[in-house]
Amino acid sequence: MGLVVCLCVATLDPGAVTAQPPVKLTFWSWRVEDKWAYDKMIQVFEQRNPGIQVEFVPFKQTEYNTILSSALTGGKGPDIIHLRAYGGLETFSAAGFVAPLDFDTVPELKTFSRQMLDGARGRKDGKLYGVPFASQTIVVYYNKKIFAQAGVSIPKSWDEFLSVCKTLKDKGVVPIANGAKEGWTLELMAGAVAPNFYGGTVFYDAVTSGHTSFKDPTYTNALARMLDLRPYMHPNFMGVDYATMQQLFLNEQAAMFMGGSWEIGFFKAQNKALDFDVFATPPLRGGQVPWVSSFNDGNYGINARTPSLDAALKFIRFTATREFGQMFTDMLAQTSAVPGVVITDPILKHVQEMNRKATPYMMLVGFRWQAPTGSTLLQSALQGMMAGQETPEQVGDEVTRGLSAWFEPFRGR
Amino acid sequence: MTKRTLWMPLGQLVLALNSVVVLVPLLIMVLSAFKNTREIFQNPFGLPVVWRWENFTRVWVEAKFALYFRNSVVITLASIVVILVLGAMAGYALGRFRFGGNDLLYLYFLSGLMLPLRLGIIPLFILMRNLRLLDTPWALILTYAASGLPSAVFILTGFFRALPSDLDSAARIDGASEWLIYRRVMLPLVRPALIIVAVYNLIPIWNDFFFPLVFIHSDRLKTVPLGMTAFFGQYYTDWATLFAGLTLAALPVVALYVLLSQHFIRGLTAGALKG
Amino acid sequence: MPGSNRSAAGSGPRRAEAPPPSGALTRFARPRSRGLTRRGSQRLWLVIFLAPATALFALFTTYPIVSALVYSLYRWEGIGRRELVGLENFVRLFTTFPYSQLLLNAFWHNVVVFVVTMLAQNAVALGLALLLARGPWGAKVYRVIFFLPVTLSLIIVGFLWALFLNPVFGIVNQLLATLGLAALARPWLGDTHTALVTLTLVNAWRWLGFPTIVFLAGINAVPDEYLEAARLDGATEWQVTRHVVFPLLASAVTIIVLLTFIGSFNWFELPYIVQGVSGGPNRSTDVLGLFFYRMAFGEVDTGLQDIGVGSAIAVLMFILLVTVSVFAAGWLRRREVELA
Repeated sequence: MGLVVCLCVATLDPGAVTAQPPVKLTFWSWRVEDKWAYDKMIQVFEQRNPGIQVEFVPFKQTEYNTILSSALTGGKGPDIIHLRAYGGLETFSAAGFVAPLDFDTVPELKTFSRQMLDGARGRKDGKLYGVPFASQTIVVYYNKKIFAQAGVSIPKSWDEFLSVCKTLKDKGVVPIANGAKEGWTLELMAGAVAPNFYGGTVFYDAVTSGHTSFKDPTYTNALARMLDLRPYMHPNFMGVDYATMQQLFLNEQAAMFMGGSWEIGFFKAQNKALDFDVFATPPLRGGQVPWVSSFNDGNYGINARTPSLDAALKFIRFTATREFGQMFTDMLAQTSAVPGVVITDPILKHVQEMNRKATPYMMLVGFRWQAPTGSTLLQSALQGMMAGQETPEQVGDEVTRGLSAWFEPFRGR
Repeated sequence: MTKRTLWMPLGQLVLALNSVVVLVPLLIMVLSAFKNTREIFQNPFGLPVVWRWENFTRVWVEAKFALYFRNSVVITLASIVVILVLGAMAGYALGRFRFGGNDLLYLYFLSGLMLPLRLGIIPLFILMRNLRLLDTPWALILTYAASGLPSAVFILTGFFRALPSDLDSAARIDGASEWLIYRRVMLPLVRPALIIVAVYNLIPIWNDFFFPLVFIHSDRLKTVPLGMTAFFGQYYTDWATLFAGLTLAALPVVALYVLLSQHFIRGLTAGALKG
Repeated sequence: MPGSNRSAAGSGPRRAEAPPPSGALTRFARPRSRGLTRRGSQRLWLVIFLAPATALFALFTTYPIVSALVYSLYRWEGIGRRELVGLENFVRLFTTFPYSQLLLNAFWHNVVVFVVTMLAQNAVALGLALLLARGPWGAKVYRVIFFLPVTLSLIIVGFLWALFLNPVFGIVNQLLATLGLAALARPWLGDTHTALVTLTLVNAWRWLGFPTIVFLAGINAVPDEYLEAARLDGATEWQVTRHVVFPLLASAVTIIVLLTFIGSFNWFELPYIVQGVSGGPNRSTDVLGLFFYRMAFGEVDTGLQDIGVGSAIAVLMFILLVTVSVFAAGWLRRREVELA
């Protein structure tokens, strides 16, 4: 019915005879904080491609997947989809919602690293479903001014880290801004703390191949280290959600913030006076180079049912250009997946250095292929652990048991 | 008698206390809407130092409040019209005609009062998809109309039944058609019931969040509850804008309520009381 | 149903029965009157009056609910329905980890919500209604004030209280600190012990006016003669209330209890807004409504759906709600008959 009305209006409009109406693409994402930058980059694209308009529509991160799934299932959804990577991508690509890409349609993809492209592949068919957009690393942000005032410096070992926290707490500052209300922020915290203690990629390979499970004391002891940090979080940390965590750090009420490298641009934009930098969570003993969790944060993909495939492809190719990648990194201070991008932001450069000893962010990379995902299981279990209701061993047990529903090597452990 | 006078001040205290519990949160919401975020943190209970009307302009423009408001109005009105038209017709037939299956049909409609339509959301979603009504206002209008029919039939049948029985025979002898009898004679007499049905459904439909959440994905079709949720998701660190958004979202219904409180109260509790 | 004659039904006086048609095709002709009989025309009008409402209701209410029950018997891949698998979804729901645990957990929470609401909301409402029934000064104003939150969207209520209950910046904890009760300050919505009850109390704040008004109407409906008679007999106010008013309130109470029950087990919007779709922290605010929604529309981290399990949950909720509703409605009917 609406279509008939539109056609009538279109034929009545004299302008429609001479000029083509612009093709409108919708672009959904979970990056609410980055909207301003995407709008600018889209402007560049629109100037070069008159006749195509792109609208960037972000959703709250915790609702995005459900909303996207519901929309795509209903045959609707955006033209350009900001997709997750690995298992998060598989959900949508395996269901046929995403248009596969290849080196012919998007030749720019040929230059991307294999590691990035792996996060854009469907596991079942090995096809590429998107243009990787960024890699993220989990780091510890710290307020340089507060550190200087308290007379502490970047800790090199775990014990040093705890004593830095204690000093900060004695000075009346909340040492660590993190909270537990939103499970995924706890998963981030685990991603910051645990790898040094479970041995990084060695353990990752062992557990993903099924040689060991999450019941392994190596892993549960690593999780237990998070309990050491409880006294140094806000007294009501169980109720502290993501927004509040960020506020604590931005308002300089907290000295440190364990989170993803995507916060760099956001922190700078929200509080220009904030003097901060990053370091990697220190290992048990000083002198070792610490592990950091890292992952392909996602891809830009095309809705398989989009009516404007040509326009969408043009935009996708634009996102794979070095120009886009450079704008992305310059404006948002995130590591673009596009090769050859020069990082000028000093804090992001630190992240880049830390990434030399990167290990896959455990659950997101390795265990989100089917439900119940490792992330879902770990998140609620960690909430229980931080609340003092579960032991790390119980966490490991719960995660392994839940995963055994679809991850065969865990069956019978 | 003495016991009574002792109770009175105590009773007044309790009632006043409850009023405080009800009103103070809303008052703080409105006051905070005029502050900036830092002031909200530092001076939550006081009056704003500067009355920042720009918070509201920001919400109006960036939250596209006018758009969501218009959508809510259109969908709510359309749903209520459908409910009243179809419900009155059905109520008239059920209330004034003897026929086999009358009771059964009446109970059938009534069963809808107890059944949670939400449990059928998956088939409803698939149905809307197959009818190509997903992401259109019709998905909402038809769903709301269907879920509002039980209460409409319940209330209107009762009212129609209560009208004098010889009313229509007189009209028929005069040669009027059934439709005219219905429209000119019967319908005007149940106007109070129509108002009750309208009010009873108005608030739940306006405030509904669940069906728009499932059916509507395009921004330009969102209703106020859904649109505001999306907006809050974007401005989750900007408390001043959040409070301004909350105030603005609450304003239409509260204003209407204060003006028409008696009708609202009667209408909204009609389902629980007989008539 | 009615005769197929399209003449304007009911217009004009009754037509005489027309003679049966004759001719070669008489064999196939059904005996019918030329014009519409009175009954025939009425039948037609009945259809016209009833069909639209019935069709709309059947298609968009009955069909989805019945389908939901049927869907639970199939295997699903995303949104695609596969083969009939009988009760396999139910078996999965009841026996596999973590579904079985989540189901029991969510159900228990719904029960808690019901009980707390009965106590904190309905009991208080009854008290308020009794007070208002005496016609104290300002009763009309109080009524309008008490009912105000009922008109607010749950979105507003949810966001507002989430901001107030923020453990670091929210006014609730700040107020406690100002009153010298800082020791009581806690992360109300983050503590697994307090989150559900806190959320239920927020819900009660929003709904309190509704049962208050219903009870008030019920109390006011008690005929004055009964009250006078009891008072003349020497009963105290409390005895009058307990022995005359309360029994006559039975139907109002039943309705409120029934509506509270349905509302408690259908609870979705408020926990969704305040705690998110996972019902955190650590599933302490997970209820059947959230669990159902996650399975039907996709998990938070991946969007993975499990419509089979989701439909099974819907069937369980349906059985529970219908059983209780039918029992309550029947009980109510009987009480009404008794008291009439």
